[in-house]
Amino acid sequence: MLKEIWDYRQMIISLVRKDLRGRYKGSVLGFMWTFINPLFQLIVYSFVFSTILRSNIEKYYLFLFVALIPWIFFSAAITGGSTSVLSQKDLVKKIYFPREVLPIAYVTSCFVNMLLCFIVVFVVVFISGTKLSILGLVYLPIVMIVEYILALGIAMITSAVTVYFRDLEHILGIISMAWMYFTPVVYSQDLILDSGMPEKFKFLFMHVNPMTSIINAYRTILYYGAAPDMSTLVEAVFLGVIFLVVGLLIFSKLKKHFAEEL
Amino acid sequence: MAENKEEMNAITISNVTKQFKVFLDKGQSLKERLLFKNRNRYENRIVLDDISLTIKKGEAVGLVGHNGCGKSTLLKLMTRILYPEKGVVDVKGRVSSLIELGAGFHPDMSGRENIYTNASIFGLTKSEIDKRLDDIIEFSELEEFIDNPVRTYSSGMYMRLAFSVAINVDADVLLIDEILAVGDANFQAKCFNKLQQIKASGTTIVIVSHSLGQIEAFCDRSIWINKGKIVADGLPRDIHPQYLDYMGEMRNEQNMKEKAKAESKQAKEAQEAKAASEEAEEAKAEEAKQEEEAPEVKKRWGNGDARISKVTIFDANGKEKNVFHVGSKIVIKVDYKVKKMVKDAVFGIGIFRADGVNCYGTNTRIDRIDEFNITRDGTVELTMERVDLLPGKYLVDLAIECGDGIPVDYYKEACAFETYSPRGDVGIVRIEQSWDFPDKP
Repeated sequence: MLKEIWDYRQMIISLVRKDLRGRYKGSVLGFMWTFINPLFQLIVYSFVFSTILRSNIEKYYLFLFVALIPWIFFSAAITGGSTSVLSQKDLVKKIYFPREVLPIAYVTSCFVNMLLCFIVVFVVVFISGTKLSILGLVYLPIVMIVEYILALGIAMITSAVTVYFRDLEHILGIISMAWMYFTPVVYSQDLILDSGMPEKFKFLFMHVNPMTSIINAYRTILYYGAAPDMSTLVEAVFLGVIFLVVGLLIFSKLKKHFAEEL
Repeated sequence: MAENKEEMNAITISNVTKQFKVFLDKGQSLKERLLFKNRNRYENRIVLDDISLTIKKGEAVGLVGHNGCGKSTLLKLMTRILYPEKGVVDVKGRVSSLIELGAGFHPDMSGRENIYTNASIFGLTKSEIDKRLDDIIEFSELEEFIDNPVRTYSSGMYMRLAFSVAINVDADVLLIDEILAVGDANFQAKCFNKLQQIKASGTTIVIVSHSLGQIEAFCDRSIWINKGKIVADGLPRDIHPQYLDYMGEMRNEQNMKEKAKAESKQAKEAQEAKAASEEAEEAKAEEAKQEEEAPEVKKRWGNGDARISKVTIFDANGKEKNVFHVGSKIVIKVDYKVKKMVKDAVFGIGIFRADGVNCYGTNTRIDRIDEFNITRDGTVELTMERVDLLPGKYLVDLAIECGDGIPVDYYKEACAFETYSPRGDVGIVRIEQSWDFPDKP
């Protein structure tokens, strides 16, 4: 199966290219939206959390931005990824190709989009005057790949299940919003750890939610300018691989009836 | 030896059963599923029933059968778009299908870029596409436009590009659902030649088509599928006559059913009209009747002294029928009713092809039948020993005239029949012929 997906790598490349090209088709600013979108989100969140809610975090805009961009990728990959098979139903019904290509292409396209956004991230980091550590920058691609594997695994499951159960697409919108507030994206993890919440909840937050360690790693590298403690990422790697394996298994089980269900 | 034989098979289908769940009323969302639990009723419709067949490497096979017989499903099983409930489908090598052309085309991308996208969906890598690019562009005849966005293409250009990609994939197995009418006559000829070339190069080809002519011209083998089972498998020219006979039979049955339906409807309407006329005043009834008859005016005229009341078509065995094999005996029986004596009556017939071409016409005077006065209701039977009209639909006009040429009842399109034939000869009528070559050594 994996070999077959590899044989179809050109299809993944084509789909990614088509998706990136077609995304902002017809809009005046076109591809610029890739950068404008996160910038405006940054402005809104920064305004809310440094003016209205007052978070007392130094350089809050940077604190938020380096976490927000990876989160937007993750969230888009799992919610949008859920419809990746559904939206290509004409292809699925008429032509054979390994169906795994569709969620892979979608998540990859979101990933490429994130990489492009990182141009803006680095500009913001540079403007803020933060000094980055070399070792941290070496680790950055590893963190990204871990996040990619995790997102891909989840998208595999959601894309296959959505074919049979269309509500999932909407349910995922709610889940991804809740998940964001359960992850230290807009706030610091200390807010949870120092709070009087039950230990069980703190354990879930720190060790079961793989996104906590991933977001923390991004923040350590780009906000604190340090090398992340890779051992905290082990759990995320472990969960990511499990999700990917389970995702591939579920997908290969469900894909046989895609053409009939669509 | 056995192993060798195994290798020779490009497609092996063993005991394959495929059924679809046909939901009577399916809820797609959670709410619908929970609220209307009993709505999730479905029927299992068996589309393919325990089918086994093998197709050898390099063979060109045509699948025939009427709509819904399962032949397209079989093709989809071969491409692995669908999976069988039971049994095994084994296809060796790269499969390309001319089922959906232009998959994944993006209107804003250039023709060249779309070639890459489209070919990649067939599983080609970049270097493989690079190698074929020139061939594809050349075949599509779109050299000048290849860097323009595809949205600027005409639909013919679009299909030409799509077809060129699909046909240049160099698959081991090529599956075709209805050889598409792509482009103009020249391009079609080119496609056909290319397919012949692909066949000659040893590619296994499976075609689903309603055009038996195409299959005969192209395939060495024809498989007739009916109701999910293989009915016959062999040389196209052996299989197709059987299939056509069956189709003729079916069409006949259907036509008969329709006719019976129409007749019962007519009878009902007549009854209703009668009931209405009894209640209403006579004058009004007359008016209504005239109105009712108004649409028929064009189809029927004459002084009405006698009227054709019933027309029935029989075959050689006296069975009522209206679909015939070319060259069959056809008997038309005409019942008529007489109001007033018709002097020196002449009966006539005209046979027209559906497009209005008059194929044949004659009457009792031309045929030198003695004229006679008709005074009572009666019947006339016209026996045509051998109708060699080529496949198509034919309409029959019938007429009664009196001796001085005044139409008594001219009934346009009084009845109709169809003909069919496995032979591909063209024109209006078949002329029995033979070829001789006296100089041939």
